[in-house]
Amino acid sequence: MKFILNYIRREEWSPYVAGALLGLVGIGAVWASNNLLGASGAFENLAGMFGKWIAPAVFDNMYFNFIMPPGITIGVVLIIGIFFGGMIGAATSGTLMWFKKGSANSDAQWKRIFGPQTWKRWVLAFVGAVILEYAAGIAGGCTSGLAISGGMLLAPSAFLFIAGMFASGIVTALVIYRNRY
Amino acid sequence: MANYIITLVLGIFFGFSLNKAGLTKYHKIVNVFRFTDMAVLKFMMTALVVSMSGLYALRGLGLVTFPNVPATYIVGNLVGGLIFGVGMALSGYCPGTCAAGAGEGKMDYLIPGVLGFLTGAVLFGLTYQQVFPPINAIANYGNAIIPELWNVSAFLFITMFTLMSLLLFYLIDRVGWQRKDSHQ
Repeated sequence: MKFILNYIRREEWSPYVAGALLGLVGIGAVWASNNLLGASGAFENLAGMFGKWIAPAVFDNMYFNFIMPPGITIGVVLIIGIFFGGMIGAATSGTLMWFKKGSANSDAQWKRIFGPQTWKRWVLAFVGAVILEYAAGIAGGCTSGLAISGGMLLAPSAFLFIAGMFASGIVTALVIYRNRY
Repeated sequence: MANYIITLVLGIFFGFSLNKAGLTKYHKIVNVFRFTDMAVLKFMMTALVVSMSGLYALRGLGLVTFPNVPATYIVGNLVGGLIFGVGMALSGYCPGTCAAGAGEGKMDYLIPGVLGFLTGAVLFGLTYQQVFPPINAIANYGNAIIPELWNVSAFLFITMFTLMSLLLFYLIDRVGWQRKDSHQ
């Protein structure tokens, strides 16, 4: 028991243990609610919801009416859960960053390679996030909704997506790290 | 309502596992693409081995039915993956790990991440009609799964996938298939 509690308090687990836990969560989603995990779709629902408040005419199209209807969907509930899961995980190891110095530019490796400027981190992160969400739309899901959820059902789409993701991730890292790769 | 509570609890465990695996850190995500830290790969493959074995066993016992399988349309899945990898290497997150990192209180996850995803979602939703149907129409296999598509036994496929994963873990952990980070 003491061992388990101490393990929970560790900042970083073996990726095998954490991965097994995610696998069980994936099974749980199908077993308990006949659903799949996924994160990118929730942002589509939220974007549609905000969009329909701000500019209803622009967002009155097939996509935001029927394909990804706006509102607090089950997917939105899941990412709220993910948010609090991350919070609890960091709390158990005492590594919460809320309102702490350095929370605006949180990674030491990033600062070492690209410099200390927060705006640079935010611009690159923003551009990356736009690309991620658009790509998830084209692919039919992201790392959780397609790679893990599709892969566990043995959908070919998941393995195509994973292959593409690693191939271009490696090339992009080579380009942005250059001689520091 | 019950479904919402179950989903919230599943989300909490999901975010917790991302945090404990270290995937809510920029360097963990990027370093798998530099081959200097293979935690992302180990985490994903372990999750896949556990979940595919469990789900096919439960289905074999008649205890679960599968929800809608993510559709296979070869060009879209592959091109989407290729674009996705660029975003991952630039930002150091994906939609799930960004949500968990935001919960930890990292402002470079909460603000540019969430704003970026919402912007990307708006762009996709407004260009959907022009972009998606043509890509979705190429080499579309619908909700296919490999055992039915290739006519192989799911048991055999999962056994092979598991053995391949274990071999890869052995090569990474014991044989040293990992680069040393010379810029540490």
